[in-house]
Amino acid sequence: MRAIVTGDRDRWVKLVMFCCASVSFVGVLLIFLFIFRESLPAITKVGIPKLFLSTDWRPKSGHYGMLAFTFGTVFTTVVAMVIAAPLGIGAAVFIDQIAPEKVGKGVRRVIELLAGIPSVVIGWFALILLVPFIRSVTGSSGFGMLAASLVLVVMSLPTITTLSAESLRAVPVELKEASAAMGATRWQSIYKIMIPSAREGLIIAVILGMGRAIGETMAVQMVIGNASQATASLLQPGSTLTTRIVQDMGEASGVFRSALFAQALMLLLLSVFLIISIRLISRERKHA
Amino acid sequence: MDSRPGKKRLIAAICIALAVAVVTLASGCGGQTQKQAARGRVKVSGSTTVLPIAQEAAAEYSDANPGVRVDVQGGGSSVGVTQLIQGIVDIGMSSRNLNPDEVGKGLINHDIAFDVIAIVVNPSMPITNLSDAQVKAIFLGKVKNWKAVGGPDKPIVVVIRDQASGTRDIFDKKALGATDTKVVESTGSAIQCSSNGVMREIVGSTPNAIGYISFGYVNQNLKAISFKGVAPEVKTAATGLYPIARFLRLYTKGEAKGVVKGYIDFMLSDKFQNDIVAREYVKIKDVNIK
Repeated sequence: MRAIVTGDRDRWVKLVMFCCASVSFVGVLLIFLFIFRESLPAITKVGIPKLFLSTDWRPKSGHYGMLAFTFGTVFTTVVAMVIAAPLGIGAAVFIDQIAPEKVGKGVRRVIELLAGIPSVVIGWFALILLVPFIRSVTGSSGFGMLAASLVLVVMSLPTITTLSAESLRAVPVELKEASAAMGATRWQSIYKIMIPSAREGLIIAVILGMGRAIGETMAVQMVIGNASQATASLLQPGSTLTTRIVQDMGEASGVFRSALFAQALMLLLLSVFLIISIRLISRERKHA
Repeated sequence: MDSRPGKKRLIAAICIALAVAVVTLASGCGGQTQKQAARGRVKVSGSTTVLPIAQEAAAEYSDANPGVRVDVQGGGSSVGVTQLIQGIVDIGMSSRNLNPDEVGKGLINHDIAFDVIAIVVNPSMPITNLSDAQVKAIFLGKVKNWKAVGGPDKPIVVVIRDQASGTRDIFDKKALGATDTKVVESTGSAIQCSSNGVMREIVGSTPNAIGYISFGYVNQNLKAISFKGVAPEVKTAATGLYPIARFLRLYTKGEAKGVVKGYIDFMLSDKFQNDIVAREYVKIKDVNIK
């Protein structure tokens, strides 16, 4: 009797779990399909080269090129990662390897707290402190790619730090002990043993931080300047895909609206592409 | 609180009866007696320029008529008109004329104020006047240094409004020479901001910035400059001498009725026009141009 009940329950649990998995799987699929469908009018009417490969964004006169914003997304994310990855991994090494346990725990809690701060708060903070600071140092308007990238550093740092610390902790303690037994200094152990053995986890930490950076909208919109130009200058105002969508979606109808959906599609492709390519790199390295 | 369907239906019936009574009274007696009986909900959205006065009117109107709730939201002129056409709101606030694709949808216009758009710079900028050609050159990105227009040797930071903005629409038309058929847009390197408030914040805190804003928003953080030698003032705009100005409007779908009409009439009342509208805009009956 009891066995049957348990068996039944097992089946139910399996079914429920299957449903949970399907909801997210089907959800993602539907989002893709919906975004693709909505962006079709722009793709057919504007054409792929003029839509995806042009930097000319003047919706009122029928120019819907999104390259400037795609570039803005990639550029701010890359700049943010160049700063956030070493910072986050460094913090993780400190928390897991160097700091006394209590201090490490304390630092960790504070960084985790950072992840809980709503992005609009960080954006406002940046608007009031960071933008004027950049303005006074550089003589530019203060709004622009640099401010946006620095906001993204703050946004992605908690993800990178906590996940990196996690993967460093997962390195077998024997490895570290063996390294110490061989007479390696603490720095040598960290540099030669810990980081290489945790590499996969560290890369995943950076990928997930990147995911957060690519999708961030509110805080970036507040400080990036929302200009429609393509620029590789850190001090010039620009836009990312997300900020352009949120800036213009109130007005948009027809092809204009569809062009914004095409930007959403680009955003999706971009994150898929980045994740896949970095996965491939990490796998390649592992096998080499 | 009353979940019983009978009571709900009764209340609904009373509401309808009251609304009918209000409409009858309003049309019969010129809107004086409706105050006691008005009941219902008015949903308003649109232009952030109209927003402050619409909110003020909403508060005062529902104070005077406790049975009326007025919800006012921003979003930009286009959002207001779109939502009005879709039937999401009762009133669309707008600070521009209807776009060609919005005409013919049965929208009725109620002018409630006249707004002057000032070209503003940071107070630290020693410029006091710009010509037509200079304004065009700056906003179209042809001139990038203040030196070229008689200012210091500093880069010009152009600040404009977002696509949905009625202020931007009027500025592009009246200052940059755009028309309904000919698109003229500011330079792509311009910083875009999504409200008058943000515009004031950015131009007020950026030394080399230039932008445009409703005259009502100009305060000590901004310096309004003359355009073609004419200062942006209520007087100069009311006579048409200062060209960058526009009507602030409420659109309704079909003739306004009931509390919607009550709310609009309230905004047009002498008291409201004198107390609130005149603080930042030109009273509608003082406008001599059309």
